[in-house]
Amino acid sequence: MRIPGRPRGAAAFLVIGFALAACGTQVGGGSAGASSADPVETPPPAADEPNELLVLEWSGYEAEDFWTDFKTAHPDAAVTFEFGDTDANILALMEGGSQADVVHFYTGWQQFYVDAGLVQEIDTSQLTNWDKVPDAYKELGQIDGKQYFVPWDWGFTSILYNTEHVDEVTSWDVLFDEAYAGHVSMWNDGPAAVTVSSYIHGYDETNVTEEQLAAIEEEWIAQKPLNAFYWSGEYTDLCPAVQDGTVWVAYAWQGCYATALANGDPVAYATPEEGRNSWVGLYAISADTDSPALAHAFLDMKLAETTCANAVTLFYYGCANGDVMAAIDDPVLVEAFGINDPSILESTNFTPPITAEQRAAWTAMWERVQAN
Amino acid sequence: MLGRRGTLKFLAVPAFAWLVLFFFVPLVLIAVFSLREGSGVVAPDAPWSPSLEQYGEVLGTPAFMRLLGVSVLMALVIAGCATLLAFPVAYFLTFRAGSRAPLYLTLLLVPFAVSYLLRVMAWKLMLGPEGGINSGLLALGLTDEPIGLLLYSRPAVIITLVYVWVPFATLPIYAAMQRIDRAHLEAAADLGAPPWARFWRVTVPLTLPGAIATFFMVFIPTVGEYVTPSLVGGSDGIMYGNIIQGFFTRSANWPVGSAMAMIMLALTLSVVIVGVRLGGLRRLTA
Repeated sequence: MRIPGRPRGAAAFLVIGFALAACGTQVGGGSAGASSADPVETPPPAADEPNELLVLEWSGYEAEDFWTDFKTAHPDAAVTFEFGDTDANILALMEGGSQADVVHFYTGWQQFYVDAGLVQEIDTSQLTNWDKVPDAYKELGQIDGKQYFVPWDWGFTSILYNTEHVDEVTSWDVLFDEAYAGHVSMWNDGPAAVTVSSYIHGYDETNVTEEQLAAIEEEWIAQKPLNAFYWSGEYTDLCPAVQDGTVWVAYAWQGCYATALANGDPVAYATPEEGRNSWVGLYAISADTDSPALAHAFLDMKLAETTCANAVTLFYYGCANGDVMAAIDDPVLVEAFGINDPSILESTNFTPPITAEQRAAWTAMWERVQAN
Repeated sequence: MLGRRGTLKFLAVPAFAWLVLFFFVPLVLIAVFSLREGSGVVAPDAPWSPSLEQYGEVLGTPAFMRLLGVSVLMALVIAGCATLLAFPVAYFLTFRAGSRAPLYLTLLLVPFAVSYLLRVMAWKLMLGPEGGINSGLLALGLTDEPIGLLLYSRPAVIITLVYVWVPFATLPIYAAMQRIDRAHLEAAADLGAPPWARFWRVTVPLTLPGAIATFFMVFIPTVGEYVTPSLVGGSDGIMYGNIIQGFFTRSANWPVGSAMAMIMLALTLSVVIVGVRLGGLRRLTA
């Protein structure tokens, strides 16, 4: 559904979220959806701009649960979606001339959008829910002191494993364990493969050398026979295979873990000795949009309570609205977000953005791995 | 007033325009992209000069070339199996079904009423550890635990694609058999040819152009398949088309993806030309 990145500031946000978890309104209920939104006051779109938006999204995020507050506040606005399936694909669509007014991608890719002049600065005075976003998250969306991005969804990446077949997992290297041949599943993504290998071998992710990249390539080629399949969709590919017992060990986001946990499946989500990974989703407004006011309203309503609560309760993703995260009390969500583990942040990795050269080299490496 | 030839030309204009716009132009664009340097998405107005850099990279990567060879072999197997399986179906429809042939033909086409993706997903369920095949084997006591090889493997891709293609492959062979003049068969019978001889000496040769056309109709799109391998193939069943897709999406590297596509096109056309020559299709259809 989406791609993880590794923000530096997410740790601070998590701390704030956890600290607030003891008080505030309740959010939870496992798979139950949140109630419909209260009327929300937002600035109306400018009279001279179209009352329509095209959103470049990840498949699944077009569900109305993910933008219900905007729908309530702007019932006449026409919202349509264009889809990408990786951050690279979404960036390619924008660079290729997508007409999208709003674009959604993940940490690690911010600089490319600003450098290419694809997005415009956010006028946060138009966002009525902006004060609910912790400062650390706001900083994730800034480049050179300017707010280009609105943080929204976030979560962890770690090892999801079947406790009936796999002993307690303590390292990312379980993905390479021959004991689980045919029951392993890695995400179909080159940068993720480089990240995992860097964790295991202690490489500096920001400066992976050519020799190290060659070793990483060999390592993943050797891992290929152990892998059942490379998953692309968290809920379409990975979760069903975890639940039917095909996959015992997987590189996974916490959404699939929470889904399996809520289903009563025998699963656990590791805190590897090398540390978990964390990612944050960002929204931006196209530099060429004809509907800047409506685009701002859309992003503002993404941060509204009902929409954020839906992301948490229906899809098990964290959300940048601190009030919503503070209200979590459902045991499944508490477990999924590690809220009951005060040391979780000490073992979480937040890596910096990748460069264009790294992106090209790492993705090409991954295609060669798959072709072998 | 248009003459007969003018009318035909006029009627061909929409189809011709369609092909130019949605086949020829995209093909040229891919060819142009494949000649660009760099490794990212290319802005349409960016200055550039033609280069064979991408072809060098693709041809110089043994893994890509090996996978292309594997994909061609898989496509040959799939096309061969689909054609062989379609042949008796077409024979039955032509010579044995009688007045019920239209009904059976309709039944044969029923799967097309279901989405391609759903049909492939159905196979994913059937081949899975809790699917129909494994459940049957377990119930019969033929195995103690589900066979893992069924799903996420090259055989899974071949089985699924053969299933998908057989109804489609039946149609050209059926059309070829319907064109057989029954007088040929009667003459053979009058001359003392037994049924098997009439089949091998009359029916098969006269149906061969349709069978060869069917073979290549299946072979050509199968070489570049990526949807079915991504659903049932797993890590082991990846085909060349999956890598092309990867370069266009995951990697956002259109120039390399385009070069890979052009190389595949050239190889596929070569196989078809060689196949047609070896099969003597021109002679058979003359």
